[in-house]
Amino acid sequence: MPPYLLHFAQAHEDFRRPEIDALAALEGVALTWVDYDPACPFATVDLASDAAAAALVRRSILVKHAYALWDAADDYDALHAAVRANPGNRNAPFMDASFKFVVETFNTTKSMPEKVAIINSFAYMAFRGVIDLKTPDATLGVLEAWTPPHDPDHRMTRVYFGLLVATGDRRAIDRYNLKRRAYLGTTSMDPELSLIMANMAHVKPGALVYDPFVGTGSFLVTAAHFGGVTVGSDIDGRQIRGTGKGSARSTDAPGSVSVHSNIAQYGCADRVLDCLVFDLAHHPWRNARPFLDAIVTDPPYGVRAGAKKIGGEKWRPAGVSPDASRKHAPSHGQGRFPATVPYDLDAVMADLTDFAARSLVVGGRLSYWLPTVKAEYAPEDVPLHPALRLVANSEQPFGQWSRRLITIEKVRDWEPGMHVSGSGLLGAKLESMGSAALDAFSSANSSDPATTVASTKKPGHKGFRESYFNFGADNNRRDP
Amino acid sequence: MVRLLTHNMLQCHVRDCTNGFPLRFQNAEVEHAEQEMNTEFLVNMLPRIDWAALRATAHELGIAQLPETMPEDAAESTELLQVLHRVLMETSVKAGEMVCPSCEHVYPIRNGIPNMLLNEDEV
Repeated sequence: MPPYLLHFAQAHEDFRRPEIDALAALEGVALTWVDYDPACPFATVDLASDAAAAALVRRSILVKHAYALWDAADDYDALHAAVRANPGNRNAPFMDASFKFVVETFNTTKSMPEKVAIINSFAYMAFRGVIDLKTPDATLGVLEAWTPPHDPDHRMTRVYFGLLVATGDRRAIDRYNLKRRAYLGTTSMDPELSLIMANMAHVKPGALVYDPFVGTGSFLVTAAHFGGVTVGSDIDGRQIRGTGKGSARSTDAPGSVSVHSNIAQYGCADRVLDCLVFDLAHHPWRNARPFLDAIVTDPPYGVRAGAKKIGGEKWRPAGVSPDASRKHAPSHGQGRFPATVPYDLDAVMADLTDFAARSLVVGGRLSYWLPTVKAEYAPEDVPLHPALRLVANSEQPFGQWSRRLITIEKVRDWEPGMHVSGSGLLGAKLESMGSAALDAFSSANSSDPATTVASTKKPGHKGFRESYFNFGADNNRRDP
Repeated sequence: MVRLLTHNMLQCHVRDCTNGFPLRFQNAEVEHAEQEMNTEFLVNMLPRIDWAALRATAHELGIAQLPETMPEDAAESTELLQVLHRVLMETSVKAGEMVCPSCEHVYPIRNGIPNMLLNEDEV
């Protein structure tokens, strides 16, 4: 199989190979990794053809471009020698095509005159076609990899030369930009990662996709982007209706925007079935047979424990009726609220894993976030199940802690007697972090982790628990 | 929305309630919204639908008359798929209740969103 160069974005490094492997499986593309370095955006793979390369990357969020790799060398002398030595039949289809050259560099910048000089050094190729910078038939790429800028020996280590054959789908990220989202909550998922999750979970046209912690509906719209038909549920109906306290924009009047607004904004009403209000631990899905192709979700961390482990800071929610016997959260009547994030994380993750094992069709996938403490993480912390196979585990680091994108595939039928296994220590390990790290953890659960340092937004997790708290009161009136 | 496809996947989940499927619509405000047919999705759903329940519900709401059993060649029958598209995807209940045929528990629907939360004594 001929070699191809994948030009990755230099971001979310731990997600790049898993995303491509997931897409290779989804598209039925045979793939061999030849050269991959997490510190470098240029990777070499063997693929059957240009068509295979296009199929592989067309949905990719982390690949910018794919090139048919013509030559690679450690310096330009060697590169030009290799290019000159190549039989002309490689160039033949493009000799009269409109064309352009692009020069891409990593760990260094080149000025326009420098780039022009590089391009001119290929003049011996003697293309006869016109130069077209806008819509050329052929784009030749020259890609330079350098040592890091701070390296005393700052130099080029490798230069690649090839023909552009395909472009990824990174433009989708801006389409779902949270800054322009109609309805935004503090827990809305970053679109880049949300789209990657849809790829990891093999969301495709015809698939039925479920988010059991749907919140403001971030995953509904990104799953719809790839043609999935989605359904969402949440324990808190106010998040769905837009009447809760979680809205990130203070200018939005309660109820004026909702999940429905987002569905309308992205024109995916035909691909969002429904949003329902219930607790995943007590769900109404008919158990007769598995019915889901994919589950894509960001679970809240320990919300149900918030109801059980009350004690500490005083807090009284607005609108609580004094005589209410709060059946979902009986302790709420005391008006207490925990000072730190309580953890029933393990129960939430185990429930989700068990639910996936029962409800996914064989071949279906679950993709979700698991919070872990870097210093204490062990692979056994990831809940597993006999019917499920762990496909990928990618880390997004936040200093002392990380969240891990877990992707799991159902490989056999569920049978009675199968149970979730795991260390059960996720919650205990998170609690072992100091309170400053826990605060960072809570606020990083909000819509823009990269800018929460000086954030005045309410931490996503606390906001969610507040709405849950209110939900407890509302539910008693059967009117969430 | 509570589309009829979603309704076909829901059952009563009150503790110890058996045979709580399908839920019976009551005071249903039915809405029809035309949309493009998604054939690939419908064909994918065919094996997951409970046909008897769908047929009964479609009849109760006066939407369509479905054959007694799902035809063997359903996936190839454009005519049937068009009917299923109308029933499953274009028909929804915006408000009203879903009632368990076994224990009579009421699940309200408001603005197209059903509340399927249970009290602690029901789980």
